[in-house]
Amino acid sequence: MTRHLASYMLRSASACTSRIRHPFAAASFCTDTSTSSSRVKIFDRQLKRKQRDRAAWLMPSNSDDPFLNTVAHNLLDRLQDCKKTFPTALCLGGSLLPVTRSLYTQRTIEKLIVMDASYEMVQLCKNAEDASNNDNIETLYVVADEEFLPIKESSVDLVISCLGLHWTNDLPGAMIQSRLALKPDGLFLAAILGGETLKELRIACTVAQMEREGGISPRVSPLAQVRDAGNLLTRAGFTLPGVDVDEYTVKYESALELIEHLRAMGETNSLFQMNTILKRDTALATAAIYDSMFAEEDGTVPATFQVIYMTGWREHPSQQKAKTRGSATISFKDIQKQFGNHS
Amino acid sequence: MGPVGKRLWEVLVCPLSKHPLRYCQETNSLISDAIAVSFPIKNGIPCLVPQDGKILEEQDATDANSSAMNEEHQGRR
Repeated sequence: MTRHLASYMLRSASACTSRIRHPFAAASFCTDTSTSSSRVKIFDRQLKRKQRDRAAWLMPSNSDDPFLNTVAHNLLDRLQDCKKTFPTALCLGGSLLPVTRSLYTQRTIEKLIVMDASYEMVQLCKNAEDASNNDNIETLYVVADEEFLPIKESSVDLVISCLGLHWTNDLPGAMIQSRLALKPDGLFLAAILGGETLKELRIACTVAQMEREGGISPRVSPLAQVRDAGNLLTRAGFTLPGVDVDEYTVKYESALELIEHLRAMGETNSLFQMNTILKRDTALATAAIYDSMFAEEDGTVPATFQVIYMTGWREHPSQQKAKTRGSATISFKDIQKQFGNHS
Repeated sequence: MGPVGKRLWEVLVCPLSKHPLRYCQETNSLISDAIAVSFPIKNGIPCLVPQDGKILEEQDATDANSSAMNEEHQGRR
């Protein structure tokens, strides 16, 4: 599955750029881990940290982002469906603030670990919590990478990741580490952006680049497809996997506002092999093409966000299981005889 | 007790080796003895991203060890 997803991502990422960096080219000791030897670097995690730092600085002005709030609300809605309570929760990076804010209003959680790869983002959450004067929930703030989870095995009841995991190079690895951090019968809840996200922008970028530069390079990151999500959960060893998809259309005044919003969410491109030069010409052409191709009657431009919600549990004997093949004692024919006559 | 809440802080392990971490008061950092790397604590927030870690030289590691032991010793007295 790693291979499959990675090769899919690479194929779309390297459609027009020929060189792929060797995974061990970077002289950082963390790339040389024994856990995964053949890792591909698709995203620049250091750049992503910086982008999220900047997003944290942009955040206070628009901390009531309706899109992020809706996704966080939908994700946490799944907790209401469980009879089980989750005393200790781990909140992974992504849109942290909306998640922690709504977790504080729920009374079921006693201890919360807030984690993000960006120091500024964690500091922002800490300040927000200090301001809200919340003493009910014991909170620990950590700066850490999802790919190198610093959490002891079997120590938390719930892992939440809201719009963060789609930036990991090793998504199955990150999910396996989350599963190990969970106690038996613990719940893993994640929301990631799916492949349909920003399809309008993808098209507009391609057309503008073809027109102005005579070739294309990936401007929008490759994302996981819906069919991959279920496989990922099974691959990571979660039981009772569940996947569902929601599509949100956000309307902007122009494509430039869309880019502003992406920056404020820390969701801008961080591909390792991206073309770092963006000509003003091409950027303006993209905005114009976006407007002419997708603008609606009221003058706004829509952007699609496809969110894939994933739920999975760590194995526990109390969970329902399918019986082994051939263990049935009654034939289907008998069942039909019993019930078929009535209908 | 470290600067982080005591009970929750027991949950943290080294991100690379997954072995327990030790708090060093002198340098205000978390040390992973298994791989001899120290992780800084900024403003009460432990930074456990592998890139933030510093590889400890052999000398430093033993120094840190002995100083930690000293502290423990003094604590008992």
